[in-house]
Amino acid sequence: MIMIKRLHESAGVYIGTGNKFLRNISPEWMWKSGTDSCSSLRIGIPRMFFYYIYPGLWETFFSELGMKPIVSRPSTTKTVEKASQISETEHCLPNKLFDAHLAELVGKVDMVFVPRVLSTIKNHLSCPKFGPLPDAARADIARGTEVLSIDIDVSRSPLSKTLLLLGKKLNIQKSKTLSAINSSFSAMEAAHKKMARPDRIKGAPRFLLIGHPYVIHDNFIAGPILNKLESMGVEVELVSFADDTPAKSYILWSTANKIYHEINTLTSEDYDGVIQLTVFNCGCDSMMIDTYRQLMKDKNIPYMYLMVDEHLAQSGIDTRVEAFIDSLRWRQ
Amino acid sequence: MTYMAIPNIGNYTIALATAVESLGINAWASTATTPAALKLGIDAAPESVCLPLKAHLGHFIEADRAGVEYAFMVNSVGTCRLRYYRHMIGQILKDLGLKIKIFGLGFDGFKPPIVRHFDPGPITFIKPLFHTVQKIKVIDELEVAAWRTRAIEITHGDTTQVMNKLLVELSESKTMAQTRAIRKKAAGCFADIPVDKEKKPLKVGLVGEISFLRDKCLNKNIEYILGSQGIELRNFFLLGEELQNITRIVFLNQSRRKSLSKLADRYLQNSVGGHALDSVAYSIHCADEGYDGMIHLCPSGCMPEVSVRPILKRVSKDKNIPILEMSYDEHTCSVGIATRLEAFADVLMERRKKNSSTAQRGKRAGHG
Ligand code: SF4
Repeated sequence: MIMIKRLHESAGVYIGTGNKFLRNISPEWMWKSGTDSCSSLRIGIPRMFFYYIYPGLWETFFSELGMKPIVSRPSTTKTVEKASQISETEHCLPNKLFDAHLAELVGKVDMVFVPRVLSTIKNHLSCPKFGPLPDAARADIARGTEVLSIDIDVSRSPLSKTLLLLGKKLNIQKSKTLSAINSSFSAMEAAHKKMARPDRIKGAPRFLLIGHPYVIHDNFIAGPILNKLESMGVEVELVSFADDTPAKSYILWSTANKIYHEINTLTSEDYDGVIQLTVFNCGCDSMMIDTYRQLMKDKNIPYMYLMVDEHLAQSGIDTRVEAFIDSLRWRQ
Repeated sequence: MTYMAIPNIGNYTIALATAVESLGINAWASTATTPAALKLGIDAAPESVCLPLKAHLGHFIEADRAGVEYAFMVNSVGTCRLRYYRHMIGQILKDLGLKIKIFGLGFDGFKPPIVRHFDPGPITFIKPLFHTVQKIKVIDELEVAAWRTRAIEITHGDTTQVMNKLLVELSESKTMAQTRAIRKKAAGCFADIPVDKEKKPLKVGLVGEISFLRDKCLNKNIEYILGSQGIELRNFFLLGEELQNITRIVFLNQSRRKSLSKLADRYLQNSVGGHALDSVAYSIHCADEGYDGMIHLCPSGCMPEVSVRPILKRVSKDKNIPILEMSYDEHTCSVGIATRLEAFADVLMERRKKNSSTAQRGKRAGHG
């Protein structure tokens, strides 16, 4: 039984729409403040972009609020097939996958969650593709489904404040939201810890894999490469985005600068090599690859980049990875 | 004589050249990227960067080959790749071992470094600036007049001829009085072109990425192709308006931006970056104004423009206005473009006929 009040019933608790963030949620999705029994409200979270940027955060947050978060299944070749049918052909691969994940959720949930991630690190910017994401969802794939959205702009206001606003938007008691924020933050911390690789095994070559969080953690994009490396007895560490205080540089895109900062502080002792995973049609990476390559050359750390597209050809990737690792073995 | 290469921003390059000449140097520029320059840029840049960057780069390489010592680039403050252009172009030019020195229009201190470097007297500097702005306005007017006349001219090519003549005169004009005279004359020149007054040309709006809206080489001369098919155009990049926009932002009154975002609000609530918001807002505007169709131009993979495509599609459906998506990469050829445009024009014509016949039928039914 869904405890949803229509606008006329809940007129007393209807939130004014003066704040830009508070618009665009239809009145039937607001329920009376303090009602506990909204457990049957299913909220869909596409397993892309913000799911990986804030790992573990959203599921915990929404379930603490008493909702039922449903995350789309990890990407597979099926997801990619779906993506190439429904998505804009010139999107970057993650954006296409995002569309497919969204489509998977539509119809199965009461509302989907698509925040507008404008910046995740203070004084930095996100990829311009994130700007119209919720609008594009509303216009096309999630049309007819309620799209819950909020502007995440850490340069303007910290994440916790944004989440508080989100709770308010859903008409949930402040104290409840606050405790949800606390537990979701610790969940995120735990998730980050889990993502970090264990201590170094003596003797095994160790590589750093760099790329956008939603690229290096996506099953379809990074999975085959990680498997390949593992089968070759190579240890890989995925670049961590847990700490978000990179030094300022000329790069303003948050992930790009974070990676830049990360590899800038590397020495050739830390890793035997750096592998960059980039995706087809990513505009940010296209500007950055040369910078990274130069930097790694200056530091004398072997570097390779792999570009993944929809037709991810396993054999091609395998050969390239093999060749790279072999060339390093000979070098030693 | 010192030369400075300036970026190509379509016909507005003429005005920009005036500003550069005020520094006591010669401007090295053209109103469109040459195909040779584009090729140079494509060869020198990493494959996956976008076409406007390659065009800029090629232009500067070509300049360097011609012995030009300085180049000028506008710094962008957007969220898209444009922001890193200067850095990247500088890097590539350095790697190629070219000596050309690039100035930006950064403000560090009272005078931008470019002015400090050449240090013109204040009077010789300020006056040409006004002249530049004046020229930009005149070019705006010429463009608008040309779009209108070209669609209904009786002999093909008349408008283009007049336009070219006026632009040449404008580029040679040294004083504000001369420019004023050209402006006065221009209206008459366009009015003298024999036109078919009865004709009701199709009206099409052009939106998208700015280098593509402006540079004839990049967009494969789309304005001309459309115009000679008898389509009245409105290109939604007028530098004069844009300039107003910029100065207004400086004075904390972003009224044009605001009105655009208000227009687009139902569909897009974020400025996205680049000119993506403009693309959405103007499409809505044109639909409301009764335009027959829209054309959305962008380089393939352009981050902001591509990401608003689903929204444009929705606008197109909701407002019942066809929007043609054109994306260009380095293999795009003008024949292909012309064919697509022709097909689009046919569709628009069909729609118009259908609409007017249904309207007439409606009328008749109303009478009966
Ligand atoms: S950073 Fe690259 S991969 Fe990520 S959304 Fe932007 S274009 Fe796509």
